[in-house]
Amino acid sequence: MLGRLFEALYHKVFINIVVQRSHSIVYVEECNTKGMISNDSESFDTTELSSKMHEYIDSFVSESPFHYISILDTSNAQGAIPTCSSRDMSVFNDMTSSKYICHQNQWAYYTSKPNLDIIKYNYSKVGVDFIFSPFTILSNFFKDKIDSHLALYILLEDNYITISVFDNSKLLYGDHIDMDHGDDNEELLIDESSEEDIDLDLEGSINLDDIDAMSDMEGLDDFGDIEDLDTIDEIDEFAETEEDEEAFRSEENEPSVDDGSGFNEDYQRFSLIQSSINRFYKDYRYESKFVESVYIADAIGVSGDLKRYLEEEMFLSVFVRHLDLGAEVCEMAKADLK
Amino acid sequence: MKYSYIKARKKSVFSSELQLLFSFFSITLFMLFLTYLFLVFKDYRFEQNTREIIEKRAELESSTTNMKAQITFIEKEVLLSERINTKNTVLKDSIANLFDLVPQRITLSEASLLKNGLILYGITPNKDVYNFMLQAPLRSIFHRTYSSFYPAPNGWLKFVSTNYIDEDELALESPDFNKEEESDYED
Repeated sequence: MLGRLFEALYHKVFINIVVQRSHSIVYVEECNTKGMISNDSESFDTTELSSKMHEYIDSFVSESPFHYISILDTSNAQGAIPTCSSRDMSVFNDMTSSKYICHQNQWAYYTSKPNLDIIKYNYSKVGVDFIFSPFTILSNFFKDKIDSHLALYILLEDNYITISVFDNSKLLYGDHIDMDHGDDNEELLIDESSEEDIDLDLEGSINLDDIDAMSDMEGLDDFGDIEDLDTIDEIDEFAETEEDEEAFRSEENEPSVDDGSGFNEDYQRFSLIQSSINRFYKDYRYESKFVESVYIADAIGVSGDLKRYLEEEMFLSVFVRHLDLGAEVCEMAKADLK
Repeated sequence: MKYSYIKARKKSVFSSELQLLFSFFSITLFMLFLTYLFLVFKDYRFEQNTREIIEKRAELESSTTNMKAQITFIEKEVLLSERINTKNTVLKDSIANLFDLVPQRITLSEASLLKNGLILYGITPNKDVYNFMLQAPLRSIFHRTYSSFYPAPNGWLKFVSTNYIDEDELALESPDFNKEEESDYED
């Protein structure tokens, strides 16, 4: 009772840390009972808690005893699985050393316990209140779409890609990829491409794998056909997401500063997404459904190349929505407190 | 913990410094309260002791009064005993004197001492022995002397001698009275 009174008297300060490839972004939001009062953001050239970052956080922590420090989990050993049953989880991942949270009793996201301990240890000077999975960020950000669409949802971070497939709020597939450390799927993709090269050389021979791949490609061709696109219902979705498109177009008009590396990275991202989707289609553990559209939560401002690759290579309807990751983590912290 | 892997830390308005300060204050207040309680208890005990002492003093005073009364009574008793003792001595002397008065030829069978008199029962060989040897000294002592005789079987006489001292006569004989009389004559 007294605690709630004090809580109403003091402002709440949400400090959100997002660790990127070579830097960390600290987004701070000060709120009262009515809503946000002020916000601030600062980027630090470190992936750990430096003294400058510590000072910056302390300056906000000292303002209110009701401060909450949230961190976005960047662990490689994290993911999402389409079940909440602990018995079925072992099919997808060994959960003995993982912590998982069941979302709406439909699907679960997990991360490794040692990783949580490492995060808590690294930020022990300031303390950590919340550690969020990028999958929750993604599902929360596209909540309006997830509930009514079957689509691929991607969260693009500087160094990470979070991929999930939802069918009317039911998760079918989830994958978290670290771009630096690569992915097994990437190797799988390279293997497949090399096999294709060999097949191209040996045109006369017949390979069963090749036949499967070709049949998939035919299917994709059918959906990629312009005439068919006119007839499908997705055109309405284009109309709904006009704002997203506009946002994307405006970003497209502004050329990226690092075009060369942006191109490479975009292609790398595309490759990783493609291999992950292949895994979704081929892995017997996942309920495979054909995905026609992709919603991208762009936290870094990718160039139009990625969209083009996805549209041209995979024949997907691409919708891009810009995302402020710090603000989204802050929203999650607020939602968690309610 | 709906979305986060970990639970948020408990938030408190009171920082560790404030908590330390409050704990010190609370300890001080507690000690003051204990001191107050101790003083209240001591005050209560002191009042209780005072009451007890007053009661004790009252008891002692009453016992002193009783003892004083007892002492007075004992002193009176002592005086009385002394008087009785004196009287007894006097009586003893009187009896001794009385028996000294009785000659050898007269035998007393009974003697009754009265407040202001003496009754003697005895046997005398004859009236002359009695009259000369016993009655004469008795008359010198007592103011009124009455004697009666009756014969005994052996030929002797039994006698009853009743002697009285008159108070009025005694007062006249007292030296104070004589002095007064003398003073009257002088006048």
